[in-house]
Amino acid sequence: MPDLKKIGQAVYGWVNERLDLDPVIEHARAKTVPVHKHTFWYYWGGISLCLFLVQVVTGILLMIYYRPGPDAYASVREITYEIHFGWLIRSLHAWSANLMVAAVLVHMFSVFFMKAYQKPREFGWWTGLGLLALCMVFGFSGYLLPMDELSFFATKVGLSIPGIIPGVEPIISKIVRAGPEVNEFTLQRFFTLHVVVLPLLFIPLLAFHLFLIQKHGNALPPAERLKPAAGRKTIPFFPNFMLKDLAVWLIAINVLALLAAFYPWQLGPQADPIKPAPIGIHPEWYFMSQFELLKVVGRFLPGVSGEVAGIGLFTIGMVLWALVPLFDLETTGGRRGRAITYFGLFMLAGLVALTIFGYFDLK
Amino acid sequence: MNYPVWEVPIIGSQLVIAIIAIFHVLISHFAIGGGLYLPYAEMLAARRGDREWRAVIKKHSKFFLILTGVFGTVTGVGIWFSIGLANPEATSTLIHYFVFAWAMEWVIFLVELTTIAIYYYTWDRVSDALHIAIGWLYGIVAWLTLVLINGILCFMLTPGTTWLAVAGSGQEIHVFWHAFFNPTYWPSLLIRTLICICLGGVFALVTASRIDGAAQPRLKTDLIRWSARWLVPTFILLPFAGAWYLWQVPAVQRHILELGFSTIGQGVFSVVTRMSLTLVLSVATLLVIVYLLAYRNPLDFKLGAAITIVVLAQAAIMSTEMVREMLRKPFVITQHMFSNGVRLREVAADNTAGYLARSPWVRAAERTAWAALDAQGTAATNAPDYKPQMLARGELMFRGQCMACHTMNGYRAMRTLLAGRDHAGLGNLLKLLHENKDDSPYHAFMPPLVGTTNEIAALNLYLDTLAAPAK
Repeated sequence: MPDLKKIGQAVYGWVNERLDLDPVIEHARAKTVPVHKHTFWYYWGGISLCLFLVQVVTGILLMIYYRPGPDAYASVREITYEIHFGWLIRSLHAWSANLMVAAVLVHMFSVFFMKAYQKPREFGWWTGLGLLALCMVFGFSGYLLPMDELSFFATKVGLSIPGIIPGVEPIISKIVRAGPEVNEFTLQRFFTLHVVVLPLLFIPLLAFHLFLIQKHGNALPPAERLKPAAGRKTIPFFPNFMLKDLAVWLIAINVLALLAAFYPWQLGPQADPIKPAPIGIHPEWYFMSQFELLKVVGRFLPGVSGEVAGIGLFTIGMVLWALVPLFDLETTGGRRGRAITYFGLFMLAGLVALTIFGYFDLK
Repeated sequence: MNYPVWEVPIIGSQLVIAIIAIFHVLISHFAIGGGLYLPYAEMLAARRGDREWRAVIKKHSKFFLILTGVFGTVTGVGIWFSIGLANPEATSTLIHYFVFAWAMEWVIFLVELTTIAIYYYTWDRVSDALHIAIGWLYGIVAWLTLVLINGILCFMLTPGTTWLAVAGSGQEIHVFWHAFFNPTYWPSLLIRTLICICLGGVFALVTASRIDGAAQPRLKTDLIRWSARWLVPTFILLPFAGAWYLWQVPAVQRHILELGFSTIGQGVFSVVTRMSLTLVLSVATLLVIVYLLAYRNPLDFKLGAAITIVVLAQAAIMSTEMVREMLRKPFVITQHMFSNGVRLREVAADNTAGYLARSPWVRAAERTAWAALDAQGTAATNAPDYKPQMLARGELMFRGQCMACHTMNGYRAMRTLLAGRDHAGLGNLLKLLHENKDDSPYHAFMPPLVGTTNEIAALNLYLDTLAAPAK
């Protein structure tokens, strides 16, 4: 029986001589992760990353058979019903996309409530928001690709919303939709956006975000910051936290596999632009709160003014959300800090309530 | 259809059984695995003179008693209620053919519950040796409940040729032991025993996770590592036991694993792929998580991680049970009784004399009216009471043959499955189900539709109302 430990050490030694890995390992060993009652929330960034990697792998596999253009629906049908394991890969891709948006949202709110956006982590917050925005564009552009009835009409409705702002419609028509209606050129553009443009933006931003996390480490929640340094518990990042993180990744993959196996992603009938939109057409769940906000505001202010007001309200909320690190500067609590926490609770409750209400409000 | 149909809106009666069974299977297997864990751990503590360890075992026995004695018992009774209501014909068959086994099972249940109560209440009241002996007695008795129920559960999948040869003849009692020790009995007993041992360790991790690692680091490390090792035999032997089990399943049932779900919109995603994905992944995840979170880092191991492990174990068991249930399709007792209670040997008679001929749910006036319509042949369609009579008849057919597995609007919803089909399309579907040819896409999953031509025509009319409800 060969001594695997010795072989492993020999291999590591060979690589280490050439790449000088020891300082990296030392750095990882010296790095610590705080342990407290909110440690659970530290895993959500890792879960998001894990799901993104699943997206990359399954996305590449789907690209082997997917044909953008007039054959788009037929190719997705082939992937789903004819190609071995095609169904599984498509289901994993679709489910991981949804789970990734959910994980990023959880991560964002946990960062918010732990006030992990405060100095010196402002850029971590902004890059994180940028990644969330890109995730949503990923979701929106990927949703159209099967070109089934639901994806077609949901995209049509989705693109018409910003178009009500004066001057925006021609831009959408010319650049995004490639015409007055969603068509195969729109699909081509969405595909390019989904597999080329967005990854080119996302990957460097993600790398910068991860670099910032390495640089600044895990932030302590306000209650922990008040404790004396000697009273705070930590564990080494390597191997303790990393092994736990891997275990959590494995659980995430397990949840994903169970969902893909028991609730496989469906493919609706082929989109027919001549047919009227089916009843109850709605965007994906992560756009539902915005969609519902427009509807609610529209009830008080009918017409274009209502829609513009809804978009305006949403934009103001997002700008305030993004700028939170600039006006929440108190690191040890205080009235303003509490007010900002209440603002976060309000945003969270609003997001959840509008999303749920949106599904009840479908007609 | 000698029994009323238990109609559960949205989720359906089968899902009620599944929901209760998911928890019962977990707890009942823990009741056995924990029954082996407790006396063994106590024995080791006594040998080492380790009072700290003993104190934790005592605490664990309280958790064990409450979980198995209350939750396990309640869900067990729940299963009896639900299977009796959802599958009365099959439940009645199992009670009649296994009356002796059930009698033994219930006596042993009584002994099991009494022994575990004695075990818990005699901590520090009797000698260590006697207490450990009571624990072992409980462990053995608990395992005997599995020995008995396993025979009946396996019988449903593999009743065996000896029993099938005499089924329905009144001579079944003479082949009781053949039916009991049926082809899948021994591999199933091995699989379930291994699962029990695994769960003994998994639930012990829950108790061990609550030990304060800072105050008692040695105790927490020892107990977590020792409990984690309880998973090892299962992971080594389970693949072999699984292969043995599948080898004992008749090829025609095993074939179901290779089939896709093309008829119900799942593409080429075969059952075996689902099984591999969910079962292998959840089992492998369980092993890796226990190693990484518990064995490697016992002092950081908290209740949340322990509960995650229980949930993963639940997912693994759920996948296994789902596959076992799927193997039996379209029967509830293989080659004897279909999932809707129709017996295989009665199919020909039902097709000739009528499915509703023996039904106690048909009024005498209805029987007379239907016979009169049947006698008129095609001319009956002009009769004023044709439609209402046929709809009433079709509804009874529907309730008797479809509602055992389908609901109107929820789980396996008939309205969704039939949506968009016209009268002729539904007629073709019913023809496919009635003929039940080997190459029919429904053959492997659904029972044949039984009944006379007129009964099937009545069902066709009734299904029209579900496919396109009157506005």
